[in-house]
Amino acid sequence: MSTILLVEDDPDIRHVVSYKLTRGGFRVVEATDGLAALREAQDSHPDLVILDVRMPLMSGLEVCRELRARPWTATVPIIMLTGRAQQEDIDQAYAAGATDYVVKPFSPRELQHRVESALHEVDG
Amino acid sequence: MLRVFTVTIVVLIAIVALTGLGIVAVRLVRQARQRKRALLAAGPRRALLAFVADNGADGGHDLVALPDEAWQAAEAGALGLLGKLRGEAHAALVSVFLRRGTARAALRDLRSRSRVRRARAAQVLGDLEVRLAVPELCRLLTDRHGEVRVVAVRALGRIGDPTAAWRLIASLDQSDPLPSLLVTHTLAQLGPETEVTLSAALDHPEARVRAVCLDALGLLGAAGSVHRVARVLREDSTLDVRIAAAANLGRLGARTAIEPLTGAVGPGRPAPLRAAAARALGDLGTSAGVPALVALLGDDEYRVAHEAAHALRRLGRPGLDALRSVLDTEAAEMIAAGRGTHARPSSAAGHALEALSLASVGPDPGASPPGSGTLDELVAG
Repeated sequence: MSTILLVEDDPDIRHVVSYKLTRGGFRVVEATDGLAALREAQDSHPDLVILDVRMPLMSGLEVCRELRARPWTATVPIIMLTGRAQQEDIDQAYAAGATDYVVKPFSPRELQHRVESALHEVDG
Repeated sequence: MLRVFTVTIVVLIAIVALTGLGIVAVRLVRQARQRKRALLAAGPRRALLAFVADNGADGGHDLVALPDEAWQAAEAGALGLLGKLRGEAHAALVSVFLRRGTARAALRDLRSRSRVRRARAAQVLGDLEVRLAVPELCRLLTDRHGEVRVVAVRALGRIGDPTAAWRLIASLDQSDPLPSLLVTHTLAQLGPETEVTLSAALDHPEARVRAVCLDALGLLGAAGSVHRVARVLREDSTLDVRIAAAANLGRLGARTAIEPLTGAVGPGRPAPLRAAAARALGDLGTSAGVPALVALLGDDEYRVAHEAAHALRRLGRPGLDALRSVLDTEAAEMIAAGRGTHARPSSAAGHALEALSLASVGPDPGASPPGSGTLDELVAG
């Protein structure tokens, strides 16, 4: 069973995504801010990270860079989930090391497909 | 006297104590209500989130059958969720709201005396994308409160019904008009069907209205309107509108825009218009604009030459080659004249150097490092 680290400060979105992925057969570990995300990443060794961009304490981009700099998460797929849809924001996310980018408002079903696709690419 | 003073002090102390007790009591009651509300909302909220995560596969009937008190406690959070989701999850959530009569209540509230209720109702109808509400939301575009008008505009954008375009355009022409940028984006949200209305509004007597319509056409990428926008560029009586026309011709990205734009950069036109047209030639993304832009590099107007150089940079390989060619030609002329390449470059070469230097650090595709920015090194490279 793949482990997904879900980093999101909005409790509603966290609940919806967590419920959807758990029903989809994943183990979901949650974090509500950037620092907690880094701790969880170290403890739970996730197979994939879903990362909000605007969060308290550390932004998603900073967390993304930090995860890429650490040997145990350097190659883990990271999907950014954010309300920022400008091309500049998307470019920044990819430059920080994101694998994929999902814009809010989002479809939980589409997010699940993206997760499966990213994990499939890693396995392949 | 002392007795009167003592009584006054006692009365004052009593008033202060009673007021304090009253404040504490109100706060306690409010907290108790919030706790009760949170408890009431917890169950429906969990059910609602699960329903949404399942794309409305099951649980819809239970949500519709919830007692009003429990539903009202969860409704505010659920409404917030509408703006965060799309696709089947959004549709499922909308269906629950519609079946619970939220849209009917919001339609009634659009005529409430309270501006807060009117604004909230407009927001709900926009989030639920209720097309039936478009005429009533259009009526709110002339509401006496600016906040209500802004929420109504956003709601119309979210619903995306092109029939609202005329009313939105008309709302720009009032004594306390809506913010231009908001209306521009909302008009673009109404979709390509608004192109005809926007083109027709380019004859509006108000310059601000014409400029907003041009920007909306640019955002829509309405390539079918190039000739109409080109006419505005040539003939409009207001310079700002002509500048907006130039900028949006660039955004439209059609080859047919090259001729009007090269006409607009010609001598005799106002410098801000020529600069905007030069910039737009770069935005078009076609190498057909290169000769006109190269000719502008030595222009007397700094802004025009500057925009031309950076437009060439943005064009990628053909533009960058043209910039290098300007430097090569100048270097060759200097050597032929026996001045060497240490001489101060001409204005055209200066602009070309600056653009090439930026290209070497920018993300432009096809840009190759041109050197450190001196004519010497560029020629050598």
